[in-house]
Amino acid sequence: MEVHVRIPTPLKKITGEQDIVKAEGKTVGEVIRWLTTTYPGLRERLQDEKGELRRFINIYVNDEDIRFIRNLETPLKEGDRISIIPAIAGGSSLRRKVTLYFPPERIREPVIYNIGHRFSLVTNIRSANVSEKVGWVTLEIDGEEGEYRKALNYLNEIGVKVEPVEKGVIE
Amino acid sequence: MNYIKGLKCKECNREFPISPVHVCEFCFGPLEVVYEYGEIKKVLTREKIKQRSKSMWRYQELLPLGGDPTVGINVGFTPLIKAEGLAKALGVKELYIKNDAVNCPTLSFKDRVVSVAVSKAKEFGFDVVACASTGNLANSVAALSAAGGLKSYIFIPYDLEQGKILGTLIYGTNLIGIKGSYDEVNRLCSEIAENYRWAFVNINLRPFYSEGSKTFGFEIAEQLGWEVPRHVVVPMAGGSLITKIWKGFKEFEEIGILEKVDTKIYGAQASGANPIVSAFKKGMDWIKPQRPHTIAKSLAIGNPADGYYALKTIRGSGGWAEDVSDLEIVESMKLLANTEGIFTETAGGVTVGATKKLIEQGIIPRDESILISITGNGLKTQEVIQDRVGRPLIIEAKLSDFEEIVQPKHQEGRRVQATL
Repeated sequence: MEVHVRIPTPLKKITGEQDIVKAEGKTVGEVIRWLTTTYPGLRERLQDEKGELRRFINIYVNDEDIRFIRNLETPLKEGDRISIIPAIAGGSSLRRKVTLYFPPERIREPVIYNIGHRFSLVTNIRSANVSEKVGWVTLEIDGEEGEYRKALNYLNEIGVKVEPVEKGVIE
Repeated sequence: MNYIKGLKCKECNREFPISPVHVCEFCFGPLEVVYEYGEIKKVLTREKIKQRSKSMWRYQELLPLGGDPTVGINVGFTPLIKAEGLAKALGVKELYIKNDAVNCPTLSFKDRVVSVAVSKAKEFGFDVVACASTGNLANSVAALSAAGGLKSYIFIPYDLEQGKILGTLIYGTNLIGIKGSYDEVNRLCSEIAENYRWAFVNINLRPFYSEGSKTFGFEIAEQLGWEVPRHVVVPMAGGSLITKIWKGFKEFEEIGILEKVDTKIYGAQASGANPIVSAFKKGMDWIKPQRPHTIAKSLAIGNPADGYYALKTIRGSGGWAEDVSDLEIVESMKLLANTEGIFTETAGGVTVGATKKLIEQGIIPRDESILISITGNGLKTQEVIQDRVGRPLIIEAKLSDFEEIVQPKHQEGRRVQATL
């Protein structure tokens, strides 16, 4: 399984100045093993003496912190994007990511279309599960805070529950 | 004369020379200042400290400056009071309050860290001081950099309390409100810090800045007659203060100023921003970031930089962690004001409220000494008590109005017959 790993600037020397490394593995743990075998210099930078991932290294799979998925056991699909990000450094910005839970009576309505149509917001569906009885959709939402607040009010009025997907904010 | 050895990574122990850096270039862990404790032990004694001026600089050997401070020389040595009224209300025997609500010049404990950071920024030769702030730090950086003759850029979430915004602007700073949470402000500032040669007090100067908080602990020990309380409750935002109060106690023990430190340390957060308390209660050793929502805006940090070390400090001391609701925060602000005459900000409400809960749950025993850390002033967060403290009775300037409107309500004292 081939995935793309984004290497942070301070570690690029070890990967021959490559920003993105194509790596192999079915889980995040396997990719880390692949990386530290292919670039032995990475091992001591990413892992402590016991082989544990260093505390101030955060790993994201497609912008999701692996601690919120299944950590090193997180399964990967062909083409997944993995980012290695030092916790304290600056870097990738936070997009709003929320999950909408639809009551059965709203499942047939074009709620997501309405968000993009009525407010100046751009939505991007990341994952979803909709059947006759239940429905949830995880969205990335870009746009002004004011517009976003208005959209939240609209969703609240029509009974759609909104929960933020907590992505690791980076300090 | 100074006693600084250098900087050291808290994770992998690699050492670095003194410079404005905060991250280990090897493992990305945070850096910390290391001192020559053996040398300090020879020169810093109780007697020597007692002879010095009443400010946080009486412990100068344990602070990370190369020479004397150039900014904030009067900061610190705030009152420590025995709180008998609040002790009675909470049903405990021995209760103290360390009151940084009246720390000078900007009425919060942040003046301690900023006076170190701005003095250090001058040593390093910076022209511009900057910070990411939830409000108190903004006030302090604006004031102390003005006093130190440096320019400042201050980044805050745009929706802070008016008192904190005006109390920053008055000093002639550049104040930038960010449309986002503190965590987003902080991340932006990390990016700016990488690209500009500015002294961000809580980013690239963090190893030096955070050391200022130790003086809160040093003062507690000195003001209690060179002893530490059995239980100390501390509010947590980024989690730095709690670790540094503990470090202050342990340093005093190390250099022989304190005999034994047997304090348990407790962390307090608002329920709407409780990543550290939540990790503590779940037995986790990493912090799950949150999106904060609480009236305690000065503590509204969802991804605390020192959260892991705060957890470690609490667990290592045998303490506990607790959070309180917004309603409990306001009630606790009122309780402290009504019993002790101290008007603290929301963060103080959090700390008093958490103490109350910990006592009620039997986690803090009622018959041992307890200290509550009050870190900020209520005049800065007046919005939250707007409709919660009643209104003045408005009357005409007539005795009859007083007797008809005020007296029937209150019945205080009896009317005396005027005699000639």
